[in-house]
Amino acid sequence: MANPFLLWRRWRDARRRTAFEDVLKHVLTRTIEGREAGVDSVAGHLGFSQKRVLHLAVEMESAGLLRSEGARLALTPAGEKWATQVVRAHRLWETYLANEAHVPIEALHKPAEAAEHRLTPEQVDALDASLGYPRNDPHGDPIPTASGQIAALDARAVTSFPLGQAAEIAHLEDEPAALFRQIPEALRPGTVVRRVSSSPAEVTLSDGAREYRLTPLVAGNIQVVPAPEAKADPSLAPLSALALGEEAEVVAIGPGLRGFTRRRLLDLGLTPQARVSVHLDNAFGDPRAYRVRGATIALRREQAAHIFVRRHGVLASA
Amino acid sequence: MTDPIARADQLRASLPAGFRDQVVESLYEEAHRIAGRSVKTGENRRIDFDQRIDRLVTSPIFGLPLMLVLITGVFWLTIIGSNYPSQMLATSFFWLEDKLVAWSAAAGAPAWLTGFVWNGVYRGLAWVVAVMLPPMAIFFPMFTILEDLGYLPRVGYNMDWLFRKAGAHGKQSLTMAMGFGCNAAGVISTRIIDSPRERLIAILTNNFVPCNGRFPTLIMLATIFVAAQFPPAVASVAAAGSVVGVVLLGVLFTLVVSAVLSRTVLRGEASAFTLELPPYRRPSILRILYTSLIDRTIFVLGRAMLTAAPAGAVIWILGNIDWQGASLARHAANFLQPLGHAIGLDGVILLAYVIAIPANEIVVPTMLMVYLGTGMMSDVTGYDDIRRILVEENGWSLLTAVNLMLFSLLHNPCATTILTMWRETRSTRWTFIGALMPLAIAFAVTFTVATVVRLLL
Repeated sequence: MANPFLLWRRWRDARRRTAFEDVLKHVLTRTIEGREAGVDSVAGHLGFSQKRVLHLAVEMESAGLLRSEGARLALTPAGEKWATQVVRAHRLWETYLANEAHVPIEALHKPAEAAEHRLTPEQVDALDASLGYPRNDPHGDPIPTASGQIAALDARAVTSFPLGQAAEIAHLEDEPAALFRQIPEALRPGTVVRRVSSSPAEVTLSDGAREYRLTPLVAGNIQVVPAPEAKADPSLAPLSALALGEEAEVVAIGPGLRGFTRRRLLDLGLTPQARVSVHLDNAFGDPRAYRVRGATIALRREQAAHIFVRRHGVLASA
Repeated sequence: MTDPIARADQLRASLPAGFRDQVVESLYEEAHRIAGRSVKTGENRRIDFDQRIDRLVTSPIFGLPLMLVLITGVFWLTIIGSNYPSQMLATSFFWLEDKLVAWSAAAGAPAWLTGFVWNGVYRGLAWVVAVMLPPMAIFFPMFTILEDLGYLPRVGYNMDWLFRKAGAHGKQSLTMAMGFGCNAAGVISTRIIDSPRERLIAILTNNFVPCNGRFPTLIMLATIFVAAQFPPAVASVAAAGSVVGVVLLGVLFTLVVSAVLSRTVLRGEASAFTLELPPYRRPSILRILYTSLIDRTIFVLGRAMLTAAPAGAVIWILGNIDWQGASLARHAANFLQPLGHAIGLDGVILLAYVIAIPANEIVVPTMLMVYLGTGMMSDVTGYDDIRRILVEENGWSLLTAVNLMLFSLLHNPCATTILTMWRETRSTRWTFIGALMPLAIAFAVTFTVATVVRLLL
């Protein structure tokens, strides 16, 4: 460690790996989007000089990772494999941060940009297994499998989805970050929304509880698929809306609860079809205690708001 | 033959998205089916009973006052219950010390050896046992009863909104409760918090609840200085009340520091938490005796004795090696005097805190031994004697007592807790912050109080 030459070499290798992987990822993303990648687009996206990109392209071509076809850059099979692995590391790391460390969704991208160049394939495999082979990252992007398959994302922008029909958010575009930050916190992959109205200046979405007014540009970054029937039921209420003593049946745990929190709630018996009732109110609003399967569990409102139930009526005993 | 891994990948892709939820769901369904067939419940009356108690202990009107009455009661019983046993233990230990000194002198041991072993090491041990054992043997079983009854989770339920406002985890109230027993145990118990950010907040603020090692100091000060201001009939209640006041102040500091941390260096939102409220149970006497006496009392006392023995030796050496006409302890105390005076204490108290870094339990014994220097203290047998030494011979005032209570509440954690912080965080930086931040707060608060009081009087 103390040898400055070794340290310098390690730093140089890491820098080279980062540059390689950023180029690979860019070319892969462009290819998936059906757009062309070239020296200009790489330089623009990564903020490198043209000279540096050319130099990198030559180096990567001789390493068998890239193929240049005129101005266009394409991935060789080896390059595609590597690029997919980087995307996999990035999305798994984001999933880990969101599910297990409760990092807010807008803070996921930056640490993942660093982690993707640091993780070894073995570490990525171990991460994948420990997270239970998740299929989508917190933004809804498909996570490549260990063998390099990327599921196609069959979603379209909410702005082109029929008015008034229930749509489930499948994906949020997280770049550019400035637009991403304008997406309300309640609108996350898995949430069911309806487009209430559209005008050239404003798109109004409703999640059943509230309406959200967005600019068409922001709304265009929200991609949706048709909502499954069970989730489109407007008679569902969040658990937090029940009154003291009211009984209900759990229908679904919302997509806002992920990872550890979700597992914990399921383990406590808050599974679909479980009967819950409000056991204790709280003068300060939070938390409230619920009875489920013979146990009493206190939850804060933020969690209870993500558990959807069908109302039964008031218990005789309350 | 196809590659089994690739085949597994393929099959996994064909599973529905929520299959994990469905696995848990089907497990519960099966369990529900089996239970429905073979379990008979006569539980409804119990649930109603539990719910009635729950509504009372978490009610907006009675919940918090009930909590205060309960902890005041616990401290009150500890204070009145431990006074006489402490005196008896001290009397017999020091009677034995005189005999032992006489015997070893008669056996021809050199004077320095007799002094070192009996007046140093033995006396340190005797003090710790006499001061700590009785309060612990009363406090821990009562605390365990509350725990066993299922009352502690209800305390967490009542206090959660405060922690949520502070941006901290709801379970921090439970790790805080653990800290009353021992801050090192409290720091370890933060493992129940799964968010690293909130766990760090809980670790850094655990020190603001007085641990068992600091209660004897607080109880002694409350008895000597606060109780003395009241008529005898209510003296012990007043003493318990002032200890509760200090504890509440500690909780306030926990919340304020948590809020500041979660808005500055450890910024973030409070994360999800679930708290189970177990049904009320009749406490099991045997288990209470075992956990409170063996697991806690003996463990904490043993640790205190391990650190008290070398501390006793250090004090004896400092008190018996003279340099330029005064003992080393005097020199050290004189050196610390200006700093001590500025925060309303004195040099001896600060010296005691330096020597007591390994364990807070030995602060009071150390202080007394330094005050008494090399003099025999076989006549110190109870709170009356301690009061005489502190007030009449060493000029303590109410300000000294109040500031010592504040300092004891807020100062740096003991060496074990610091070591535990390092083990739990694996970070030198956070360990440093965890050790120095409380110390800085302690100095700031006591300095402010001392300055304000001196300006007003």
